[in-house]
Amino acid sequence: MGQQQSNLGGGPGGPGGDDKDKKKDKPKYEPPPPPTTRLGKKKRKAAGPSTASKLPDIYPTSRCKLRYLRMQRVHDHLLLEEEYVENMERMRKAKARATQDPAKGGGDLDVMDRNADERSRVDDMRGSPMGVGNLEELIDDDHAIVSSATGPEYYVSIMSFVDKDLLEPGASILLHHKSVSVVGVLTEESDPLVSVMKLDKAPTESYADIGGLEQQIQEVRESVELPLLHPELYEEMGIKPPKGVILYGAPGTGKTLLAKAVANQTSATFLRIVGSELIQKYLGDGPRLVRQIFSVAADHAPSIVFIDEIDAIGTKRYESQSGGEREIQRTMLELLNQLDGFDDRGDVKVIMATNKIETLDPALIRPGRIDRKILFENPDQNTKKKIFTLHTSKMSLGDDVDLEEFINQKDDLSGADIRAICTEAGLMALRERRMRVQMDDFRAARERIMKTKQDGGPVEGLYL
Amino acid sequence: MANEGERPTSADKGKGKVDDVRELNGKKTEGEKPADEKKKDEASQEEELSEEDQQLKSELEMLVERLKEPDTSLYGPALDAIKNFIKTSTSSMTAVPKPLKFLRPHYDDLAGLYETWAPGPVQNSLADMLSVLGMTYGDEEKLETIKYRLLAKSEDLGSWGHEYIRHLALEIGQEYLNRLNAEQDTQDLVDLALSLVPYFLSHNAEADAVDLMSELEIIEDIPQFVDENTYARVCLYMVSMVNLLTYPEDQQFLRTAHAIYVRYNKLSQAIVLAIRLNDTELIKSDIHATTDMSLKKQMAFLVARQQIWLDLPAEDEEGEALADCLNNTSIPKHFKSLGKELNILDPKMPEDIYKTHLESSRGAGLTNLDSARHNLASAFVNSFANSGFGNDEMMLVEGDKRPWVWKTKDDGMLSTTASLGMLLHRDVEDGLDKIDKFTYAQEDQVKAGALLAIGILNSGVRLDSDPALALLSDPDNLEAKNVPMRVASIMGLGLAYAGSNKEELLEVLLPIVEDASLDMQLSAMAAVSLGLIFVGSSNHQVSEAIATTLMDEERQKQLKDKWTRFMALGLALLYFGRQEEVDVILDILKAVDHPMAKPTSVLASVCAWAGTGTVLKLQELLHICNDLIEEKEENKGDELVQSYAVLGLSLISMGEDVGQDMILRQFGHLMHYGSSNIRRAVPLAMGLISPSNPQMKVYDTLSRYSHDNDNDVAINAIFAMGLCGAGTNNARIAQLLRQLASYYHRDQNSLFMVRIAQGLLHMGKGTMTLNPFHTDRQVLSRVSAAGLLTVLVSLIDAKQFILAEHHYLLYFLITAMFPRFLITLDEDLQPLTVNVRVGQAVDVVGQAGRPKTITGWQTQSTPVLLAYGERAELEDEQYIPLSSTLEGLVILRKNPDYENPE
Repeated sequence: MGQQQSNLGGGPGGPGGDDKDKKKDKPKYEPPPPPTTRLGKKKRKAAGPSTASKLPDIYPTSRCKLRYLRMQRVHDHLLLEEEYVENMERMRKAKARATQDPAKGGGDLDVMDRNADERSRVDDMRGSPMGVGNLEELIDDDHAIVSSATGPEYYVSIMSFVDKDLLEPGASILLHHKSVSVVGVLTEESDPLVSVMKLDKAPTESYADIGGLEQQIQEVRESVELPLLHPELYEEMGIKPPKGVILYGAPGTGKTLLAKAVANQTSATFLRIVGSELIQKYLGDGPRLVRQIFSVAADHAPSIVFIDEIDAIGTKRYESQSGGEREIQRTMLELLNQLDGFDDRGDVKVIMATNKIETLDPALIRPGRIDRKILFENPDQNTKKKIFTLHTSKMSLGDDVDLEEFINQKDDLSGADIRAICTEAGLMALRERRMRVQMDDFRAARERIMKTKQDGGPVEGLYL
Repeated sequence: MANEGERPTSADKGKGKVDDVRELNGKKTEGEKPADEKKKDEASQEEELSEEDQQLKSELEMLVERLKEPDTSLYGPALDAIKNFIKTSTSSMTAVPKPLKFLRPHYDDLAGLYETWAPGPVQNSLADMLSVLGMTYGDEEKLETIKYRLLAKSEDLGSWGHEYIRHLALEIGQEYLNRLNAEQDTQDLVDLALSLVPYFLSHNAEADAVDLMSELEIIEDIPQFVDENTYARVCLYMVSMVNLLTYPEDQQFLRTAHAIYVRYNKLSQAIVLAIRLNDTELIKSDIHATTDMSLKKQMAFLVARQQIWLDLPAEDEEGEALADCLNNTSIPKHFKSLGKELNILDPKMPEDIYKTHLESSRGAGLTNLDSARHNLASAFVNSFANSGFGNDEMMLVEGDKRPWVWKTKDDGMLSTTASLGMLLHRDVEDGLDKIDKFTYAQEDQVKAGALLAIGILNSGVRLDSDPALALLSDPDNLEAKNVPMRVASIMGLGLAYAGSNKEELLEVLLPIVEDASLDMQLSAMAAVSLGLIFVGSSNHQVSEAIATTLMDEERQKQLKDKWTRFMALGLALLYFGRQEEVDVILDILKAVDHPMAKPTSVLASVCAWAGTGTVLKLQELLHICNDLIEEKEENKGDELVQSYAVLGLSLISMGEDVGQDMILRQFGHLMHYGSSNIRRAVPLAMGLISPSNPQMKVYDTLSRYSHDNDNDVAINAIFAMGLCGAGTNNARIAQLLRQLASYYHRDQNSLFMVRIAQGLLHMGKGTMTLNPFHTDRQVLSRVSAAGLLTVLVSLIDAKQFILAEHHYLLYFLITAMFPRFLITLDEDLQPLTVNVRVGQAVDVVGQAGRPKTITGWQTQSTPVLLAYGERAELEDEQYIPLSSTLEGLVILRKNPDYENPE
């Protein structure tokens, strides 16, 4: 370690240090024991890019000239750095050209050839197939104890070309098939299950597709979107933005729809999970999944985590006999910890949705974890009208259709019911091969919907 | 409903649909005026309009129509109605208020109307409204808000809301710049801005007020607007901006903030700013501004910390007590009481610090060679570790035991004897007695050491009797035959009177600088001493003398001497922190054709801009570092230029947190690309930027450099590690240094440096700081920084100075050494024990409310130690501190309103 050329962080390595390396041939004392910074490694990695090259934090966060000046200072320094490095690189190249020029012109090709050559040699050394194992313990700079799923633990050497900064106890590593020495590191840490949850394609529903719910939309935006977009507003006011919201209310009132609209609108990473997904077969898998979701969210911050049907895991704790129930409760405890635990998660906002808020554990929805509870009620007259307009705007309606009739009726319709009525009416018209939906279709559709609704759904009556 | 524009296919299918839905929406159709047609694309928005919105919209449109009609009598009420709509509307934080949204399509019409109307109150009223509308719709380039605002003089701007005022302030700034460029009159803008300031201040937006006024360059006017409740925040904000402003704006800010503090009778805060301005007259006027004797004493303590020597007439007893405070004479007493409190009065032996038993066994047996050099190192370690305590077991021994001096040889004896000065630092009366016996020694080296010790002893304190001047300028010493004694006397004078600006010393030292027949070493040392004494004064007598010496024909030969750099340093120190004043001397130096001219000018300019963070200067320095120099003898000067430039990078950027962090990154690049002379200076620069501030990332990097192939880099890195942890007892650095001791156990030079670094680390048994910034890291002490710089300049070629026979140069550190204590005193200056909370300082500038200024605090009872970046505050309100920052010596006064909770 002592023999290495010292340079701090940034800047490409490469030929710059080559001439210096020659000097190290002369005999010297033994290198001293390596600095015992092993333990710090994992922590430093968690802090993001190497701390030495991290930019300083800028305060205050409110918009003012002081902040501007400080940012400008950082900017100026970065420009200086760039200028210096550029100049030096240029000079180095000029120098290299001056010395090499007479010899040959195609230096670049040569370098590429050599790189390819070296790479293939490294591949040879790695051999094939490579075993996948687990790093148990780092002994010193080039030795470690590893284990693989099948056999015993081995004390092996680490190949010099392995990036030692990535090595840490518990990492997945590639092992040579014969010598079992460490030849590579597998960096993917999170479960593939979690990456599936990351939303790549935004849903098509936007705020415009929501009828009414102005109050709710505003509340969600204030507590979820705004803190990610304009954190300084909260800073100026001197408050901490809310960490999460819970959407609750009767079925079909648009909770999930609103979440979709948020996902459609936001540029933040959007992770969606259904509560039941967190219930896993093996002990400890559920809590682990929760941890991974949140660590993925933190890595991709700013991000929004949406947990639908939270009552699947978030019910009140009680003395339970079955191991399965206890496991579910443990999953919830992990969720509690992730929501407002010891580590600050930073720019991760949580939206939960349920239609049974009264069954949830009080700890889960206490302020600090979930700061806002947003009630979704069945639509009133005005909203009903909007929802009807929304759903019928794409339908071809007959001249006689007057939706006011349905709106003014005192039915207890939810948003989903209205949608169902419209769809049903469309189906009716289709059955009779009409090109327009007529008022009668709507009436019949409403009858059907109301009937099943009052019966408590078709299921109950099935076996009577 | 109006979706047909977007989805023609579905519309084709259901022909009658549109009308149906229109009817369904009922009244809506009434509101949709012809205006609707031209904005079909916005139709989808309208779809969402609720009934109230629709009504609002139609009403607004009706009002706008009314304005377009010829009936002038209706204009007034219509405008008032629209304004009322705008003012009473509320909305969520980011959305545009609805009335503004609905008025958008009419903005251009209204603007056109304005031109056609006859001037009068009604037209003004319209302009008033247009100004508000301009905020959301006007073309950014056209600055419509400000245009209409200037056309209509309205009193009650605040009623339009905060967002409007802010927007207006923004446009004022832009317009001001535009007009400046076009050289137009700006008085109306200034008037408008001044009418906004009270609004900002009364609404907790002091940052906006200050920003606006600084934008218009009228910051001097702010004192008339602030009041009891706002001045503190305004001043805090202004002061924290100073570091980032350019000259002369920074001076303006400081002076303005100073004026505010004086007005609100916060003299202890005012005087800190006066000290920052380095304005002796202002300091004096602050002290005279009060009749409160205790407050005067407190201010005297603050002034004394900066080592500014004020001459206040001491007529009576009180005056003398004040003079005592100014002269730092009470520090040893308090320092020892701190030691007693912390139970560290027992002297430490070098072995206690080396802890060789913890070094890995490989080097054992070899490290303990009883060589003269090893003993010298021990002498240094001993002096650093026990500095200021006035007792040790090596030098100040009684009876049979012989002082450690006799275990060292030749030049080692000089330094070893001089260590007495550090051990007895500031304790002049006792100290002189104890040193006295060494002045009668046979050996010249010991005598010289004793002289230097006298100088060190007196550093940072002042006595009316001036013992140092009397003893050291004695012809026997100052003009002694042998060089060491003369050098020691000269250096002693410089240390004892550093920062004093004492005119008498000109007569003593100037001749030595000017005398061409003398050895360069003497003249250069005299120049440095003068530089220290007149640091930052730009004293022209001294600068002329040094400049002529550099140009002197007879001296040309000598200028090749290694000591010449100190001549240059002396000149540079004179301009410490003077910023642009240095240009005079730079011009002169440009004319000089000499290899030393360029290094001198670089050194002078970095000193002049020290602690300012000026990016342009940093850029110049980096350009210097960009040059490649071939390693030849005649290029020596240029190599020095680059080394100084590297030191300059940290000297300039120190003191400002952001720049300080950023420059550390730059050092990484310098280390990677730089040639050997640059690489040598980088560790030193890293040490200079964080003295007594052991940051993990700094000493970790230094620890890597300490194994560099280039031994000079390694040695400097080791020293820098010591500098980083100076006076902190940092355990991690101690461990790293122990490892280095065993690594380098066979390399005498490196080992010597490791020992010195260990001594530095345990300086004052962990109670000292070398950081030149004090009083809440606000004030840069010139004297301290000058001392540090001198040592670092000598370390650029360590093998010629510190590692050769001139190790006594290390004693220049004494000017930067100060206990990092907090001592609380009652009004009779007797120590008082109170509970304080000590924690990490938090930057509270610009935060809402009253945030805590410290975090992670622990409650301790005074006296306490404060580490870098820590702050203290009193636990309860039983006492009121007279100083705003609890640091150093603080006088407490009983709080008359305090009620004991029990």
